[in-house]
Amino acid sequence: MKKLDNIKGFIESSFIDWPGRSCAVLFLGGCNFRCPFCHNHPLVQNPGELVSYPLEEILARLRPLRKWLGGVAVSGGEPTLDPNLPELLKILRGEGFPTKIDTNGSRPRVLARLLADGLLEMVAMDVKNVLVTDKYERCAGVGVDLDEIRKSIELIRKSGIAHEFRMTVLPHYHSRDDIIAWAACLGNDSPRKLQNYDPRSPMYPNLAGAKGFSPDDFAELEQLAYTHRT
Amino acid sequence: MGVVMPLQKAMEKSFKQVTRDDSTDLALFVRTSEEDIVGWKRQRIVDALLRETFIDRDTAERISIDVEKTVQTSNLKTVTGPLIRELVNARLLELGLEEARRMHTRLGVPLYDVDHLLVQHNKENANVPHGPEATNLTLAEGIKKEYALLHVFTTDVADAHLSGDLHLHDLGFIDRPYCSGQSLEYVKKFGLNLPNSLALAKPAKHADVLLAHMVKFAAALQSHFAGAIGWDAVNLFFAPYLEEMSDREVKQLAQMLIYEFSQQAVARGGQAIFSDINVYWEVPKHFVDVPAIGPGGEYTGKTYGEYEKDAQRFAWALFEVYKEGDGAGRPFFFPKPLVHITEKFFKTEGHMDFLHHICEVASLKGNTYFVFDRGDTAKISECCRLSFKLDASDLEDAKEPWRMRYSALQNVTINLPRLAYKAKGDDTKLFTLLTERIKLAAKGHEQKKKFIEKLMGLGKGGPLAMLAMDLDGNSYLRLERCSYLMGMVGLNELVKVHTGEELHDSEESLKFGLKVIAHMNIVCNKMAEQLGMKFVLEQTPAESTAYRFAKLDMAHHPEETARVIQGDMESGEIYYTNSTLFNVGAKMNPIARVEKEGLLHPLIEAGSITHVWLGEANPDKKALADFVIKTFRHTNNDQIAFSPEFTCCLDCGKTGRGITETCRYCGSAKIDGITRITGYFTKISSWNKGKLGELHDRYRNEERFVRK
Repeated sequence: MKKLDNIKGFIESSFIDWPGRSCAVLFLGGCNFRCPFCHNHPLVQNPGELVSYPLEEILARLRPLRKWLGGVAVSGGEPTLDPNLPELLKILRGEGFPTKIDTNGSRPRVLARLLADGLLEMVAMDVKNVLVTDKYERCAGVGVDLDEIRKSIELIRKSGIAHEFRMTVLPHYHSRDDIIAWAACLGNDSPRKLQNYDPRSPMYPNLAGAKGFSPDDFAELEQLAYTHRT
Repeated sequence: MGVVMPLQKAMEKSFKQVTRDDSTDLALFVRTSEEDIVGWKRQRIVDALLRETFIDRDTAERISIDVEKTVQTSNLKTVTGPLIRELVNARLLELGLEEARRMHTRLGVPLYDVDHLLVQHNKENANVPHGPEATNLTLAEGIKKEYALLHVFTTDVADAHLSGDLHLHDLGFIDRPYCSGQSLEYVKKFGLNLPNSLALAKPAKHADVLLAHMVKFAAALQSHFAGAIGWDAVNLFFAPYLEEMSDREVKQLAQMLIYEFSQQAVARGGQAIFSDINVYWEVPKHFVDVPAIGPGGEYTGKTYGEYEKDAQRFAWALFEVYKEGDGAGRPFFFPKPLVHITEKFFKTEGHMDFLHHICEVASLKGNTYFVFDRGDTAKISECCRLSFKLDASDLEDAKEPWRMRYSALQNVTINLPRLAYKAKGDDTKLFTLLTERIKLAAKGHEQKKKFIEKLMGLGKGGPLAMLAMDLDGNSYLRLERCSYLMGMVGLNELVKVHTGEELHDSEESLKFGLKVIAHMNIVCNKMAEQLGMKFVLEQTPAESTAYRFAKLDMAHHPEETARVIQGDMESGEIYYTNSTLFNVGAKMNPIARVEKEGLLHPLIEAGSITHVWLGEANPDKKALADFVIKTFRHTNNDQIAFSPEFTCCLDCGKTGRGITETCRYCGSAKIDGITRITGYFTKISSWNKGKLGELHDRYRNEERFVRK
């Protein structure tokens, strides 16, 4: 077994990370994006400072829960950056757990491989904004090759497995028009989900004090995301 | 026929006439408790002593003369009745006449306390708002509590309560049973025919009138019970009235039902009726062949088995209303909906859709309680946790469901951590002390039983006339069927003191916890046999008891308590863990919590619950449904509820998810939180300190990254 020492967070049972299922969640350290509003930023900025969960310990805690769990979601950070991800997914599947990943879609080749190898039951991809470079890069906090993002969207849409496109929205980053355009680039059939920005612990201090959309406004935006299709 | 003067009054009158001349000529006025001012009469002291105590006339005379001297030398123009009484008591004490002093004592409240009470908020029960009705309740409770401790219970029992060895619940309601479960069939069959009410209503012909009867009856019951008013199979028993109604009308009825119960905070003490409605998707086995009662109290000619569809329509509509929440989008606090999950549930058409529906409500608003009736068990649940398992004779009653009326007469909770402080690690001593406490609690139950029997014995002319009404040949309160609850607080801390570990820490500590509860169960069964009373274990909701015990133990056993107490000692927000629950802050995933807490549930006959605190997260309804099914299949857990948290804004009136520092809508800082305190939702601003400490600690299944 390779050294799988990058598991920095572990929830044994979650009701919010896999639509329709309760699942365990593993968080892998490290990310190539620097989304200013990231709420998992300890994983992004300084994963080396976090304690790793040994895989054996995780498996030992998961095995008794097998009859309870609909699977294991591997999140991050950005899990596709970890060269051990395929191995990790194989081990989890070998233990009888269906697997899901959360990705930012920046590594379509890795994604294609995982799909081709049948290592995933579900993918959730964060599509950070409408596919316009300056808007996208502002949300990602780094330069982004949008072609790679497009490839990932296409791969996922055509994968034939359960999937979901997600976007965390906040005022001044996402306008109504952005959300409409965002929804339109995801095709007609794919489930999508907006998440309101959670102001409690942003990565960038200059976002401190910024708020998410009011629940009323957010509900309206959600409506737009569902109704606008290509 | 002329008016006959009651004998006692006549005697008093003649007595006064005879004694008038004996009174001293003292220029002093007395403000009596009968709202008048009368001249000083020494003889009144003698009369009272002879009437209320067993002392002899000469002693009484002597005391009255002594008191008169004291008053005389004080140069007062006016004295009050209570002051004279205290002077007499002081004399009794000096003479060593303790029993007489006790009998002659006065119950009441100091001026300062009343002043304080009318202005400040009483937080013992978060379901009591602040207002004139609420302070009436508190004052009345205060006096009845003193009465109970002096006059209903023997000194050993009363002292055990006062010192915090155990807690006699609802002493302020000493003259009522504790809680009750009923059947709508009673109201359907007999209409609203209550003693002391001016108008008699015949059985309802329409669903909305039946609802009105139900609500009035619930309010009447609230005045006769201390706690919860539960209703069995509400959606099924309404069904015969719904046949002709459209879905819209059924929804309207559901709305009326929920609003009526949730807005009854105009009743006793300004308290909402603590109400529960039991809901079934299937027609419970024991009602399938029972002839249905419909409009006008008549049999419809069908059995309840034939009303499945209408019962389901109503159940669905009720949860639609819960999903919407109140006018401000807040969860309804009452009535609490308890959905029974049974083998038959899973064999009934449409159950998955219904399960998703009620799980969506659980996720959005938290209302749903999932009650697991495995195998052949049938239950009525009510109050925070209390449920009544229906045994053979009850199932016989089910053929005439209006007979299905249950009550627990009293709840006594044992302070478990204190036993461990005293046992100092010695198993034998611990279990011996536990046995002694249960015996003392049983004694307390016997005394309450005797008192209620006395009141019930006064029949329809007595104070419990309503519970004595016998429309079906039995009194409404079936005393012989009553249960007596044995509760517990702080199993977790007992185990920690005794074994060094908390319940969630290891298999061994959990096993020890099981041993303690199993012992309680065995002793209860033995006592039940011995005394012919049904003692059952209950998970005490302990909304204030967990705090009270913690405070008393900090005073009496400060060192030992400080080592195991939960909460924050600095702020005084301290508490013991409720009943047999695990440390609320332990980072246990919900699966482990329902499994492990559930191991204790089969021993706790009167019902248990595991809370899954959700905080801010909006869980997926299908994920919750899956979890509910697996809890039913794979554990012994009795009941679960998911508890979300909310923040409601006092400025804009809107309600947001999670407990936040400011309103998510308008940014105002004038906000109040809402979540479950024990078994019900309420505003956090009304919580006592112990519960606030617990709220802080609750683990909400959020991941935490651990720094090296």
